[in-house]
Amino acid sequence: MSEIEVRNLHFSYTKGQEVLAGITLDLNLRPTAIIGQNGAGKTTFVKLLKGLLKPTEGDIFVKGYNTKEKSVAFLARYMGLVFQNPNDQIFKSKLIDEVMFGPLNIGQDEKTAKRNSLEALDLVGLRNRINENPYDLSLSDRKLVSIASILAMDTDIVVFDEPTIAQDYRGKEKIKDIIRYLKDKGKLVITIIHDMDFVAETFERVIVFNRGKVLLDGDTRFVYSYRDKLRTASLEQPYVMQLAQKLHIGTPLLTVDEFTDWFNKR
Amino acid sequence: MRTLSLYQEGDSIIHKIDPITKIIFVLITILIPIIMGTLNSAFAFLIISLTLVIIAGVIKKVLPIVGFTSIILVTVIIIQGLYYFNNRTPFFAIGTVVFYKEGLLYALEIILRIYSIINSVSLLMFTTKPSDLVEALVKKGLSPRIGYVFSSVLQIIPQMMSTVDTIIDAQRSRGMEVEGSFSRRIRAFIPLIGPAVISSLIDTKERAMALEVRAFNSRYKKTFLNEGTTFKYADVMQVSLISILIISIVLRFVH
Ligand SMILES: Nc1ncnc2c1ncn2[C@@H]1O[C@H](COP(=O)(O)OP(=O)(O)OP(=O)(O)O)[C@@H](O)[C@H]1O
Ligand SMILES: [Mg+2]
Repeated sequence: MSEIEVRNLHFSYTKGQEVLAGITLDLNLRPTAIIGQNGAGKTTFVKLLKGLLKPTEGDIFVKGYNTKEKSVAFLARYMGLVFQNPNDQIFKSKLIDEVMFGPLNIGQDEKTAKRNSLEALDLVGLRNRINENPYDLSLSDRKLVSIASILAMDTDIVVFDEPTIAQDYRGKEKIKDIIRYLKDKGKLVITIIHDMDFVAETFERVIVFNRGKVLLDGDTRFVYSYRDKLRTASLEQPYVMQLAQKLHIGTPLLTVDEFTDWFNKR
Repeated sequence: MRTLSLYQEGDSIIHKIDPITKIIFVLITILIPIIMGTLNSAFAFLIISLTLVIIAGVIKKVLPIVGFTSIILVTVIIIQGLYYFNNRTPFFAIGTVVFYKEGLLYALEIILRIYSIINSVSLLMFTTKPSDLVEALVKKGLSPRIGYVFSSVLQIIPQMMSTVDTIIDAQRSRGMEVEGSFSRRIRAFIPLIGPAVISSLIDTKERAMALEVRAFNSRYKKTFLNEGTTFKYADVMQVSLISILIISIVLRFVH
């Protein structure tokens, strides 16, 4: 059984205008990026996975549970979703309380919740600020708080909607580390993201959404080698790959490291 | 963008009439029956306003309001029918409870007035875009600040509602059960108030700054982007409406 199974998924907000028009796929343990132009239906798709929206046609199974039949709160035990805007979820006046809210809701006892929360805050580098008010933090730190508050729930599946927004280089590196850490712990990470270079360096599988359908799906290198198809979806390749093509290097290089390796061996 | 608006798309003649004329019409449907104080005038205005509502094609929208008001108006009939101070002539009786003719007539007058006011206010609200209404008032000399307060309230409320939706989603996503019993939902609501208020405060601040950098407070006389489709007969209609009002006042004093 896959972590998530999506079968012939259709969805529309208003009758007659399909935002998702027939999607069938499985999501397994490989870290997966969902990319696509604005309005392609990415956020809608993860809200459906999370059970916040219900399919108008077709089914979604999360850990074998049909999302149509379970409440969002129930599914929260298996899947965490970090919202794009941290201001939508932060409401406690102390950082540690904020992070412990989710774990306590899904039935962790006080001690476990505390331990998981401290661990999560450690991971995002905010361990020493647990008594501060989240609203005194900068936007990028608040984003990290919202990430920690999902990590602390210790769900098998973690979904990020645009995690790198408002992050500088250091923040992006931190998020990269978190994604790798989650992968090593055997969790499924799904991320909506517009930063192609970040995708190239962090994810193993890429799914390209275009007008409510899956345009491409597969290994990162495989997907990014389809330059023209990506263009039709208003997407570009990672810079290193563009550079390699301009230099007529035969191998489709993805990351700076791959490029330097190739260069040194030349 | 969503706005809080009762406006119904339409191309009837009523839709084309300018907002100011409609406001004057609302005023005279309220004032004239009071000034005249006769059953006939109340009845006349009911017929006129009802006809206009039908022409505007919004009768379907008005009926529920009328229905809802009727429930309240039943109490008017009962109270005036029983206790109006001029009650003399018994009209009918239910058991020992006697309804009087004077009170019932008075109740009828009140009801006719209220229905015609509902009709004319509906006419204004259903056939005028809120933004047009505010702009028309600002052109007539209402302070742009107050105009802005009106139109922003119309926008902020739906915006807050969608913020609340997002926030509810964010908390459900963290395992908070929001479905279920009433007390559970109330408890669930508390965590939502904080983020909702804070994000609308942030929005408001940003909006104020955005306005300021575009010289909202400038002292120069403002021009308008929308010339507005000026209604050809606006002046004629406004003058005649006001004349009718004056005539009714004169009539009242002559009698
Ligand atoms: N609540 C809603 N009601 C109606 N339509 C909506 C709603 N939310 C999104 N849409 C529409 O659904 C389509 C897909 O939106 P969605 O937010 O899923 O896109 P996205 O791929 O996440 O885009 P972005 O990259 O800009 O975040 C868009 O056309 C959008 O206008
Ligand atoms: Mg989105």
